[in-house]
Amino acid sequence: MRKSFLIAVLLVLGSLAMAQVKIGVNLELSGRFAAIGNQTLNGIKVAHMQMPKVLGQDVQLVICDDETTREGSIACAQRFVNEGVVGVLGAISSSMSIPAAEVLQDAGIIMISTSSTNPQTTQIGKFIFRMAYTDDYQGKLAAAYAVKDLGAKKIAIFRQIDDDYSYGLAGFFNETAKKMGAKTLIQDFVANNVDFTAQLNNIRSFNPDVIYYSGFCAEGAPFMKQLREQGFKQQVLGADASDDPQCPEGAGAAFDGWTFTGFATPNLIPDPAAKKRADAFKKKYFEAIKNAKPGDFNGFVLAGADSYNVLVAAIKAAGSTDINKVRDALANLENYPGVSGNITYKGTDGTPKDRTIGFYKYVVKSASDWKKIELFGKSTAEVQ
Amino acid sequence: MTASKTTSRATLITIIITLLLVALLGWRFYSLGNYTLARATQDFLNALTLGSLYALIALGYTMVYGIIRLINFAHGDIFMLGSYLAFYAMALTPMHWAAALLVTILLGGTVLLVIRALFNLEEPKKTITLALLLFAGTFFLLAFRHMGWIEALLLSMLATGVAGVLLEAVAYRPLRGAPRESMLITAIAASFFLENLGQLLFGPRVRGFNAETILNKPLSFSIGHDTVYFTGILVMVPLITALLLFVLNTFVSRTKLGKAMRATAQDAEVAQMMGVNVNQVIALTFFIGSILAAAAGVMYSIRFGQIHPLMGLMPGIKAFTAAVIGGIGSLPGAVLGGLLLGMIEIYAVSLFPTLSAYRDVFAFVLLILIMLFRPSGLVGEDLTEKV
Repeated sequence: MRKSFLIAVLLVLGSLAMAQVKIGVNLELSGRFAAIGNQTLNGIKVAHMQMPKVLGQDVQLVICDDETTREGSIACAQRFVNEGVVGVLGAISSSMSIPAAEVLQDAGIIMISTSSTNPQTTQIGKFIFRMAYTDDYQGKLAAAYAVKDLGAKKIAIFRQIDDDYSYGLAGFFNETAKKMGAKTLIQDFVANNVDFTAQLNNIRSFNPDVIYYSGFCAEGAPFMKQLREQGFKQQVLGADASDDPQCPEGAGAAFDGWTFTGFATPNLIPDPAAKKRADAFKKKYFEAIKNAKPGDFNGFVLAGADSYNVLVAAIKAAGSTDINKVRDALANLENYPGVSGNITYKGTDGTPKDRTIGFYKYVVKSASDWKKIELFGKSTAEVQ
Repeated sequence: MTASKTTSRATLITIIITLLLVALLGWRFYSLGNYTLARATQDFLNALTLGSLYALIALGYTMVYGIIRLINFAHGDIFMLGSYLAFYAMALTPMHWAAALLVTILLGGTVLLVIRALFNLEEPKKTITLALLLFAGTFFLLAFRHMGWIEALLLSMLATGVAGVLLEAVAYRPLRGAPRESMLITAIAASFFLENLGQLLFGPRVRGFNAETILNKPLSFSIGHDTVYFTGILVMVPLITALLLFVLNTFVSRTKLGKAMRATAQDAEVAQMMGVNVNQVIALTFFIGSILAAAAGVMYSIRFGQIHPLMGLMPGIKAFTAAVIGGIGSLPGAVLGGLLLGMIEIYAVSLFPTLSAYRDVFAFVLLILIMLFRPSGLVGEDLTEKV
C-alpha cells in the first residue's frame, strides 16, 4: 500500500517535470507542395529553437505530413485531436487547410494556417486563424498592377479548377480586372495535368497583353515551358504559390521574367523595427538550417515562424495551456512584434490586420542559376 | 496477337476515327469563329505528341497484360524510375573514377546476370564479349564526360529493364499460381512501394529535368498569316513510338523467343509442357515492358521538363486507359488507343473552350462508351475467359 502510494507520487512528480506543451504541425511535406512545405517547417523549427519554452514547460512540436492531399490533412487533424495538442500550425494551402479547419473547429482546437489565403478558411469558426493576407487583397493588387502599371487591355487567366485557392484568387483577379476595363478570358486546368498546349492554342486568337496564372508550381513550370515554346512572349503574372523554388528549377530559363505577388520578405516590410527583426531572423535561419540555399528563404519561412510565435505569445498571455483561454488571448492579440511585421487579431475574423504583399520578379538563367528580385511592397491597408 | 485480322481491323477503325475527326473539325470551323488552318494544324500536332507519349507508355501495359493477364499498376512507377535514372545519369557524370568503377561493377554485373538468364547465353565466349562491352561501355559513359540525353536514355533503359525483371521476380513470380485478384493487389502494392521508395531515395521535391537537347528548341513554320509552333520532340516521339511498335511486332511474330511469348500468352501450362521456359519468357516480357517505360519516361520528362516521385500516377492511368481503349493485349491497339486519347484530350479543349478543365472527363467517357459497346477494346481479340 505504501509502496504503491510512493510510486503514484513519483509518477505525478515525474509527469510534472516532464510536462510539455504540445503543438501540432500539419504541413505538405511530400507531394506537390513539398518544397514550400519544408520551407515552412524550417521556419517553424527555427522559431521553436529561439523560443523552446513557454510557462516554464518545453514546447514539443508534433509534426504530421499531409502528403498534399485533403484526406491526409483530415487524418493529421484527427491525430492532433487524439494527441491533445493546444494548437495546430498549418496547413499551407487553402485546399488542405479548409478540411483540417473543419475537424479542428469541431474539436475546439486552435488552428493557425500559415499561408492559406482563401477568405473562407477563417470563416469556418472562432478557433481558426491565419498568418497571411486574403486573396481578395492579393487578387485586387495583382489586377491593378496588370491593368494600371503594365497597361494590359486583354488578360488571359489560367486557374486550377480543383483547388480552393487558385479558383478563388482567379475570381477576385477577374472581377477587379473587368471593373478596371480590361477584357479577360479564363482557361481551366486540374492538378497534375501538365499538358497546356490545347489551352494555349485557345488563347492565341484572343492575343492577350498579360497572362495571369493563379496555380502552383507542379503545373506552373511545365505551363511556362510550353507557353514560351508555343511562341507566346507576353508578361506572365503569378501569385504567392509561385514563391517556390520548384518553379524556376522545373522550367529553367523559360521562367525568366515571371512576376508575382507574395508574402513580404524583410526588404519589403515598411516598418523599420519589423524589418530589423526579420533580418535578424534571416541570419538565424541560415545559421540553423545548414544546407539552405539563398532562394530557400521566402515568405513561407516567415509565415511559419510567426504562426509559432503568436501561438506561444498567446499561451504566455493566457498564463495557462487551457485551449479556450489561449484562443481568447490569441483573438485579442494586438501589435505582436512578429518577424513578418506587427500582428493584430483583435477585431478580425482571424486574419491579421495590415499585412504586406510583396511584388517579385524571377531572373532565371538556368535551372540552377536563378534569383528573385524584390520589386516593391504594398500594405493590405491601402486596398479598399 | 493474330497479325492479319488485327491489322485489317486496326485500319478500318483508323479510317473511322479519321472521318470522325474531320467531321468534328469541320464543325469547329463552321460553329466557332477565329479557327484558322494554322490553329487546326497546331491542335493536330499537339494531339499527336500527347497521343504518342500515351502510346509509348501503353505499349508496356499491353505487353505484360498480353502474357500473364496482369494489369501491372507499377508500370507508371517504373516509368518514374526510368526518368530518375536518366536524370541522375546526366546530373552526376562525370564521376570520380572510383565511384564510376563501383557503379559499373554493381550495375554492369546485375545487367549481365539478368541478360544472360533472359537470352540463354550459355557459351562462355559470348558472355565474356558481352561482359567486356557492358563494363567498358558503362565505365566510359560514367567516368569521362558529362552524359548527354541519348546515352542517359540508353543507360536508363537498360537499368530500368533490369529493375522490371527484379520487380517481377520479387513481387509477381511467387504468386504465379494464385488467383488473379491477388496478383492485382500485389501490383497495386508494388506501385505504392515504388512511389514511397522514390520519395525516400530521390526526395519529395519536384526536380527540373533540363536535358540540353535540340529536341527542346522551339521551331515554327507559317501557314498564311499565322505561325505554327512545335519542338523537335514533337517529331521524335511519334517516330520513336512507330519504330518501337515495328520492332516489337517483328520480335513477337518473327523470332523464336517471340514465338515462345505468344505460346505463353495462349496457354502457359501447355507451353511449359512443350519445353518453353515460362519463367524466362515472362521475365523477358517485363524486361521489354520496363525498357519501354523508361524510354517513355525520358521522353515525357524532356517534354514537360520536370520529374517527381509521383509523376507516374497520372500518365500511368491515362496510358492504362489508352491500352484498354485500344484493346489490352494488342500492340497496335495500344498505339491506336494512345493516339485516340491524345486527340480527345486536345480536341475536347479546342471544341469546348469553356470546359477546358474537363478534358479528362471526355477521355473517360470515351473509355466507358468503348467498354459498353466493345468490351475487348477497339482492336482487341474477343477474349474468352480462361480459368
